[in-house]
Amino acid sequence: MKKIIINTFAVAAIILAAGCTKTSYVKDPNNPTVESVLQNATRIQIDQLGVGLQSVMRNGFFSFYTWSGSVGREVVYFAKTESRYYRELQGEIPIDPVGIMYDWWFSFNQTRRRAEILIQSAANTSSLTAAEKAAVTGFAKTIQAYVMLNALNMTGVNGIRTGFSDLNSPGDLLKPGCFQDYNQSLSYLKTLIDEAQTALTQGGSAFPFKTVSGWNGFNTPATFLKFNRAVAARIAMYQKDWAAMNTALSASFLDLAGAITTGPRFLYSTTAGDATNPIWQAKEEANNPLLVQVNFVPEAEAGDARVFGASIADGGTAKVRQRTTPTAPTGYPSMAYETQLYATNTSPISILRNEELILMYAEAKIQTNQLPDAVTALNKIRTSHNLLPYAGAVTQPALIDELLKQRRYSLFMEGHRWFDMRRYDRLNTLPKDKPTHNIFSQFPRHKQETDWDATNPC
Amino acid sequence: MRKPLQVLLLLLAIAVPGMLSAQENVTGKVTDQGGTPLAGATVNIRSSKVGTQTDANGVFSLQVPNKKVKLVISYVGYSEVVVNADGNLNIQLQEDNNRLSEVVVTGLATSIKKSNAASSVTRINAKELTGTTRPATLDGAISGKIPGAQINANTGAPGGGFTIRLRGASTVAGSSDPLYVIDGVIVNNDQFPTGAGTGAFNGATSANAGSQDQAPNRISDINPADIESVEILKGPSAAAIYGTRASGGVVVITTKRGKSGKTRVSIGQDVGFAKARHLLGSSDWTPAKIATYGGVYGLNEAQALALYNAAGGKTWDYEKIVWGNTGFISNTNLTVSGGNDKTKFYASGSFQTETGIQKRTGFDRRSIRLNIDHKINNWIDLKLNTNYLNTYSSRSYTGNDNNGVSLSYSLGYIPNFIDLNKRADGTYPESPTTGQNPLEIVDRGENIERTNRFLYSGELNFALLRKENYSLKLGFRGGLDYLVSEPRNYMPEDVQYQSRRANPGASRFSTNKAFNTYMQSALVFNANVGNNFDLTTGVVMLRDRQKRDISWIQGTGLLPGQRNPSTAAVRLTESQVLAPETVVALDASQEVNWDDKIVGRVGVRADKSTLSGLNFDKYYYFPRASVAVNLTNFNFMQRFDFLSLLKPRIAYGETSGFPTNDATYSQLVGVTYGGLLGSVSPTTLGLAALDPERLSELEFGLDLGFLKNRIVVEATYYSKKTEDFLFPYTLAPSSGVTSYKLAPVGDMTNKGFELSVTADVVKRANVQWSSTILYWTNKSKVTRLIVPPAFVASSGFGAYGRKRIQQGYSPTAWWGFDSTGALIPYKDAQPDFQMSWINSVKFLKNFELNMFWHTSQGGHNSSLTRLIKDEGGTTTDWSNPGKSGDPIGVDRQATIINNFIFDASYIRLREVGLYYTVPKTVLSRTFRNVIEGVRVGISGQNLITITDYFGYDPEVSNFNTSNAGGALISGVDLTPFPATKRYFFHINIDL
Repeated sequence: MKKIIINTFAVAAIILAAGCTKTSYVKDPNNPTVESVLQNATRIQIDQLGVGLQSVMRNGFFSFYTWSGSVGREVVYFAKTESRYYRELQGEIPIDPVGIMYDWWFSFNQTRRRAEILIQSAANTSSLTAAEKAAVTGFAKTIQAYVMLNALNMTGVNGIRTGFSDLNSPGDLLKPGCFQDYNQSLSYLKTLIDEAQTALTQGGSAFPFKTVSGWNGFNTPATFLKFNRAVAARIAMYQKDWAAMNTALSASFLDLAGAITTGPRFLYSTTAGDATNPIWQAKEEANNPLLVQVNFVPEAEAGDARVFGASIADGGTAKVRQRTTPTAPTGYPSMAYETQLYATNTSPISILRNEELILMYAEAKIQTNQLPDAVTALNKIRTSHNLLPYAGAVTQPALIDELLKQRRYSLFMEGHRWFDMRRYDRLNTLPKDKPTHNIFSQFPRHKQETDWDATNPC
Repeated sequence: MRKPLQVLLLLLAIAVPGMLSAQENVTGKVTDQGGTPLAGATVNIRSSKVGTQTDANGVFSLQVPNKKVKLVISYVGYSEVVVNADGNLNIQLQEDNNRLSEVVVTGLATSIKKSNAASSVTRINAKELTGTTRPATLDGAISGKIPGAQINANTGAPGGGFTIRLRGASTVAGSSDPLYVIDGVIVNNDQFPTGAGTGAFNGATSANAGSQDQAPNRISDINPADIESVEILKGPSAAAIYGTRASGGVVVITTKRGKSGKTRVSIGQDVGFAKARHLLGSSDWTPAKIATYGGVYGLNEAQALALYNAAGGKTWDYEKIVWGNTGFISNTNLTVSGGNDKTKFYASGSFQTETGIQKRTGFDRRSIRLNIDHKINNWIDLKLNTNYLNTYSSRSYTGNDNNGVSLSYSLGYIPNFIDLNKRADGTYPESPTTGQNPLEIVDRGENIERTNRFLYSGELNFALLRKENYSLKLGFRGGLDYLVSEPRNYMPEDVQYQSRRANPGASRFSTNKAFNTYMQSALVFNANVGNNFDLTTGVVMLRDRQKRDISWIQGTGLLPGQRNPSTAAVRLTESQVLAPETVVALDASQEVNWDDKIVGRVGVRADKSTLSGLNFDKYYYFPRASVAVNLTNFNFMQRFDFLSLLKPRIAYGETSGFPTNDATYSQLVGVTYGGLLGSVSPTTLGLAALDPERLSELEFGLDLGFLKNRIVVEATYYSKKTEDFLFPYTLAPSSGVTSYKLAPVGDMTNKGFELSVTADVVKRANVQWSSTILYWTNKSKVTRLIVPPAFVASSGFGAYGRKRIQQGYSPTAWWGFDSTGALIPYKDAQPDFQMSWINSVKFLKNFELNMFWHTSQGGHNSSLTRLIKDEGGTTTDWSNPGKSGDPIGVDRQATIINNFIFDASYIRLREVGLYYTVPKTVLSRTFRNVIEGVRVGISGQNLITITDYFGYDPEVSNFNTSNAGGALISGVDLTPFPATKRYFFHINIDL
């Protein structure tokens, strides 16, 4: 009897053993994989990648605007619980090349790669026409050039990598190209924006993905080309190629007579999966106030609507607001003003607007000695902001001073001041709030980049 | 491959005929030193499979082939005795303080007497665990008691939170916490995110998912009072039996079981209180200091002076207001146990409640357990264990912060002359310096967590054959662990920092679920082949599965009093299903025991795991082997009779592990933008097929016993190597990809030495003093690295000290900048050594004094606590002149690494207790035998700490253990919840 039971158990144990050792592949229970779009993507997938790219293009702007604004002495970011934000940015201590200061670097480079994945996915599918593929390439490369110009301006002479990824050759990620110097990097960006231009002209009548309403007026290959040329003008400005800048401007949406606010915008919302306006600040923000450097308001012309009067948050036009409680890090002059650039945390942010194009136009004219045209353009800016027309000397040096001043107030906290001062070699004129401060010329290369190059020499 | 072996064994077993012949009967009685009968003592014929157990009266009766055989009588906690099977025996067992007779785990279905063990397995029994005082959680109760373990309290908040590293960190990415096994079933010990550290609350991290929530880890649910023993399999040489699950070592927990005999009812009540162990204090201010500082934090001199004058000389010690309270602790346990020869049971109910040293904080645990043993017949027995647990913790907000919410953080920036006290109208004045009044957070912020948990396990064992020279057992074991943990965070819309937000008010409801199942079948064949050669062959097949779901909804923009986030103005939700992990394993082992003289063991476990992605069906093999030689059991050793034990031993084993469970995926992430659905490619990539990292360990040891084991010394040296450890393969960020999530990038080693000396120092009739000294040390080093050196994520804060993986260096060293700005390795977070001194003195018959000292020497923490107070000007020595002429509180802010790395050495009286057992004579006189035993005592935990450390406690950790880099997270001191010392009064009544 017991033998029978034992045999039964033996058989049962064997069956159990055989059945219980089976395993199967566990697919990711949360997300689709990136491999699913790289080959034979559907139109829906292309559409979603296109929307995704528009979304991630917004990444990195808080740090880009705030850090460059801090080094350019537009603001002091007085993060109450993270002193590194002002101690490093105001040059009291060196910028930690592996610390908390590199969100912009990660974000802009990631956007470049994500744009590349869209380009590759479009190239490797039969669901798009040749014109649609060209439209995708033109769109994605324009965005690559736009974000990488921002990255390059932050790293200055340290440059950017002009080769970064080739998704067609697996493993290429492990061999990104070398860093190029500032001028070489600018040449790369010019090539990129011009390739995008060519592609857009072949891009047919519509993009094969939906565009958010922030691109209204720029949402077909033909109209997006105007944005592409505006970016090309910025690149030419940093290259000091005034002729190219002029040419690019004339193909852009520059309109000396039109509204200065015209231009594409980043949108924000509180919807889950979306983002809120990162530059928006609560009034009287106490924890992480974004304070206006003490020289900004006194050095403005009386009546300037960009500075005086009700702040944007209070329904006015002033980008700054006087606090009821001035505050400052220890040893700094007390700062009475805070930034108020946006009315709400869902207000859109201008990507590039006519105001900047007019200023670029003025600069091109000054540099090519067509001074009356420059004065006309500058007056357009001045009168738009409740100032009287320009009454100073009409000479190149005087107009450059005036141009830089208008750029300072028109493009406040939008990633320009520091670079303007650098390209005109005036960094040493920027104010220091404490004698121990330094004004950096550029951010150091991120430690992971130098580590990588040390292990994998170019 | 193993199946034919099983069949063969079975056939072999069935084919051998039974051959028992003429029998004689032996009877006897087993008692302890005091003459009390020992029920359930084991009586075996030496070198045979035949044996029995004593009944409730300690009496046994056994058929023996002849009276020349020897009987081995053993009982847990008592020294084994060998007697001739002659006549009517009266056997008295002596309590075994050196515990060599204890049984330790050697396999998934086998165990061995400790005196025969070849690897160093630490076993902690119930008395050592909670016999002196009452640590709130299991991990707190083993702290300092395990040579080779670095056990670190992450916070002083009620409900604990511990990090345990056995023989150093064996992996880098992900948690390196040990595997916990309760009654044979793998249970969950996750530290789930709660959201307390996210942007809407203290903003420690800007991400929506919490990585600095400082939540308790889930082993804190387990009721320490139910635990009979804890065995620690520290390194791969012992833990190889758990294969791919065991990279961090294994903690094997056995719960209490009933014993046959009279039904025992035991009621225990502890009452205690907790006080802050140490507070940092705050400096006083004068107009001169305000001038030197340039105002106070965030305010200029004029503003600061206005507030200073308004206070009119009054000051408030906010640290004391927040943490100067006394926490109340009550712990009630009721156990009923008993049974007969067929059925035994152990039932317990427990209610523990603690309030913290901060108002509105606390920890509760409710536990119900029922363990049943039943013999269905003389060859089948059954064990069932059920446990329901309910825990609650309320921990408020401490630690890292970016919103002014964390109390300890913001207190560092608040000068003591600013009046923040609640006003008569119930409002709180705004904090002018920090953006949030901390007293408002104490009274109104909520950070609670409630957990419901079920643990079930069972065993069905078949003694298929039991003959004189061999036996065959078949055992099935299975169980499950299901838990739902529901953290809730709430900030009313009108607290200072919320009121300025676009959508004031924040509430977050989280639901974290874990479900583990475990199944195992084992066949064990044991044969004595003559000449006292004992062979044990085991074959085991098992399958375990672990599944976790994490989801939460967060609402911002709340109505007054609204807590439900689902109707808030702005809602964020997340539902994350972590890929279920399945491990299937086959294990075969062979043990040879030659007369307890030489004991050798070999085995191999083959594992496959769904965590290896496309390699899900690939078996990985983990061999193990060990030999122990009991030299004193050889005849030639008899002349060295002062040596009662001389056992050299050597053991080798391999294990492996996967740090995380999604390392094989490269995910597209969905986003919404402008009302459109988009998808975004990943910035971290997965390797689709991933092999686990592999650990191997060689361990040598020598066990020595002197004077009949009155002194026992155990010394162990180990060398553990982690090959192809998995680590994020950091790419140049300019590639647009941060890293491959995990890739095999190098090797590292942990080498160490463990020593334990146990002695019965005094052994007189009225005084018995036994003492144990433990000493251990571990050093780690990265020996190979194929990627650029990289900082470990979440291992610290920038220049204030981080760990770095770099070839030739310790992975636990702190890196930072020297005065020239150069990156340098500084001190190590791992202590040079740790030592414990555990004493038990019994005197005047009924008194017992236990005292347990523990020291950790040479470890270092990265502390931002002093920096925060220096920045706020609130360190008590802030105004002292520094080297540069500035106040020292200014000098110390320079970003030089030695300003932030602090020696975390300490000497601590971890546990002390004095107990009195009321004599039985008194009881029987007073209560007429209704009450069998009464024991009363007083005890304390962490009563004395000797340390130079600046901070609330040298034991601290800011980051969640589940983070990437979780193995190396410990030692970051960022204004934690202050540690406590606890005092108790105990009474225990047995009916």
